[in-house]
Amino acid sequence: MTAMVPSILPPLLLIGPLAVALFLLTLPRFRDSLPESLATDKGSVALLERIHLGSVGYVFLLSVAVLIQVLSSGAISAFGDWLFVDALGAVFMMLIGVVGLMTGLYSIAYLRHDLESGAIDAGKVRIYYGFFSLFLFTMLLAVTANNIIMMWAAIEATTLGSAFLVGLYGQKSSLEAAWKYVIICTVGVAFGLYGTVLVFSNAADVLADPHQAVLWTALVGHAAELDPMLVKLAFVFALIGFGTKAGIFPMHAWLPDAHSEAPSPVSGLLSGVLLKCALLIVIRFYVITVGTVGTAFPQMLLLTLGLLSVGVSSLLFFVQQDLKRKLAYSSIENVGLIVVALGVGGPLGIAAALLHAINHSVTKALFFCSAGNVLIKYGTRDLRAVKGVLRVAPATGLLMMGCALALAGFPPFNIFVSEFMVFMAGLNEGYGWIMALCALFLCITIAGLVKIVADSVLGKSPETMAKGDVGWKALAPLGVLAVLVLTLGFAVPQPLSNLVQQATAVVMNGDSRPVVAAPWQKYDGQTYDTVRAGGQLVTGSLSQTEISK
Amino acid sequence: MNGFLIVNGLSGLLIVSSLLVTLAGNPANSARFYALQSFILVMLFVALAGATGSGELYLWSFTALLTKVILVPAIMYRAFRRLSDPAIGTGAVMPTALSIVGAAVALILCFVVASKVTLPAADAIKPALAVSLALFFIGLACIVAQRNILKQVFGYCLMENGSHLTLALLAPNAPELVEIGIATDAIFAVVVMAALGSRIFDTLHTLDARQLTSLKG
Repeated sequence: MTAMVPSILPPLLLIGPLAVALFLLTLPRFRDSLPESLATDKGSVALLERIHLGSVGYVFLLSVAVLIQVLSSGAISAFGDWLFVDALGAVFMMLIGVVGLMTGLYSIAYLRHDLESGAIDAGKVRIYYGFFSLFLFTMLLAVTANNIIMMWAAIEATTLGSAFLVGLYGQKSSLEAAWKYVIICTVGVAFGLYGTVLVFSNAADVLADPHQAVLWTALVGHAAELDPMLVKLAFVFALIGFGTKAGIFPMHAWLPDAHSEAPSPVSGLLSGVLLKCALLIVIRFYVITVGTVGTAFPQMLLLTLGLLSVGVSSLLFFVQQDLKRKLAYSSIENVGLIVVALGVGGPLGIAAALLHAINHSVTKALFFCSAGNVLIKYGTRDLRAVKGVLRVAPATGLLMMGCALALAGFPPFNIFVSEFMVFMAGLNEGYGWIMALCALFLCITIAGLVKIVADSVLGKSPETMAKGDVGWKALAPLGVLAVLVLTLGFAVPQPLSNLVQQATAVVMNGDSRPVVAAPWQKYDGQTYDTVRAGGQLVTGSLSQTEISK
Repeated sequence: MNGFLIVNGLSGLLIVSSLLVTLAGNPANSARFYALQSFILVMLFVALAGATGSGELYLWSFTALLTKVILVPAIMYRAFRRLSDPAIGTGAVMPTALSIVGAAVALILCFVVASKVTLPAADAIKPALAVSLALFFIGLACIVAQRNILKQVFGYCLMENGSHLTLALLAPNAPELVEIGIATDAIFAVVVMAALGSRIFDTLHTLDARQLTSLKG
């Protein structure tokens, strides 16, 4: 493990959203403390919106700053290595920064509508923005933690931070969803704690200094000395625990309820970012486990659970009539595919998993927010009632159509690129039949997505429905996400492929540089064809100087 | 060696108290029994600290006394005392006798698993290690086989006590901050669950998990 560069940036990144959350949530008489001109519903909400924008903007800018430092000087750390950001963590931190900013911007228009329609009152707006920042903070803590106990505590805190967001509307169904979310995830993550405790206790016995045994970077360095039986047990516990949070079958039961009942921007954040943060912790435990017992055991578990997730969720996806539930099952499916890619392993498999995590995150956040627009216009998520979105709200209709095609894996959208990589990796590593099964399940999903486009986006709109899209404030952040979905589909930008390569090297615990590019993309003078032709590509033929260009 | 005997002996009491928590008639009584169990856990930490000479464990015992014996049970007692749903009785879905047999079977299985652990630190305290694992699964069972949502919260607390005990047994020299991290998180978890549970009761006038079934598919 190369030495980490001390940096002030990780604590700075964390302190902003935490301060905002504490400020908003611990002022019980927030409105009374405002000057008279602001002490109205409208005035206090406008102030809250500005504070919220400051928070999400801050997180985005600091994430970019951290990313630049990580790309230029390698992993950075703070607080005696308790906090650190390596290339792997940076991938997920950027997801929080980007998707957090876009869903944060979208929240403004969405909550204003909720406020006008009477679904929430001004007090709930404060709760929402306070917990939104808290949720961002807990996820940032999870991806910047090097202390494995802190990693667990942060994942547990993400549940506690977002439970009130899920139950925001206070109706029977949303309270029920929030309760299931809290109970299932807390219990699941208790398994994660047990796994964490097992690894830590084991390492505390092996390493001379118990303060080192708690650091992930030290654990990876000494993985070979750990007790194989205990590490296997710990990986099973960690996979169950953090897999619950990531929405892996069969621990996914909370996910469709929470995703469908939460306000739409939060659904986007849950699906786009939270699931991925939990996956990051699974990946961190995977790296330790591989160091102790090799790849066979963890990969077998990952392939099994991943394939089951893809299979079961594709069927449940198809039969759902509730738009947001449908999208939730699609999230389980995509998480399943990421887990399959991790299980396939090899540099290309790991890189494919990471790229798919990024692509799915952006696309699903966009889809959930588009579903939010549908909810604003139609007042329902029932696909039997949502017809002709393209006529009623053309921009939202177009966005939905784009999302559906992207999720179905059609080029030139981003999901195609990473799914293609997953399949290439699977075939390269000799998992032909697993890839064939995945392809079959993906076909079922495609059928479901085509149905959304044909019936709901295109179909005949209800006569009584007023034409006209939602305002530009609700559309602008979605436009940015749509541009990302398309751009990443045309070509993987060089800085991103560099980042994914470096992150892959962290997971492989060595120097391996898979090609991270669209199939048609020129890659430092080579095309992706070499992968298809040559099986193991490649990586050797690219020199360090070529990569760093 | 005597110290370890006390540790193993006290761990037996943990199983008894966990059954009391699970089988208590109402959530307020469960909170009392939970405080009792946590007190036994604190005694166990002290005995273990004496046996291993670990200074950190004395500190742990103190923080555990504050959080688990006083703070968490007090929060739950205050929050749950006013909530009652006579319609679900004790809320248990299994007869008491079956629960006890189930706990015994879990304990035996955990003994088998613990006997296979080869860590030198675990040699003298294998019975207690088995109990810590069993405590974790009894907690899980308390959540799965319980209709009263408030008593499900205690299931989580038992699971957390189990993990805590494993940590103390296998890594008695763990930095104090690790333990504080776990304890703090558990407090927040209980507060959030208690708040949500109360809101559910206020809105839906029930504590029955089986009534929470409007979301399906």
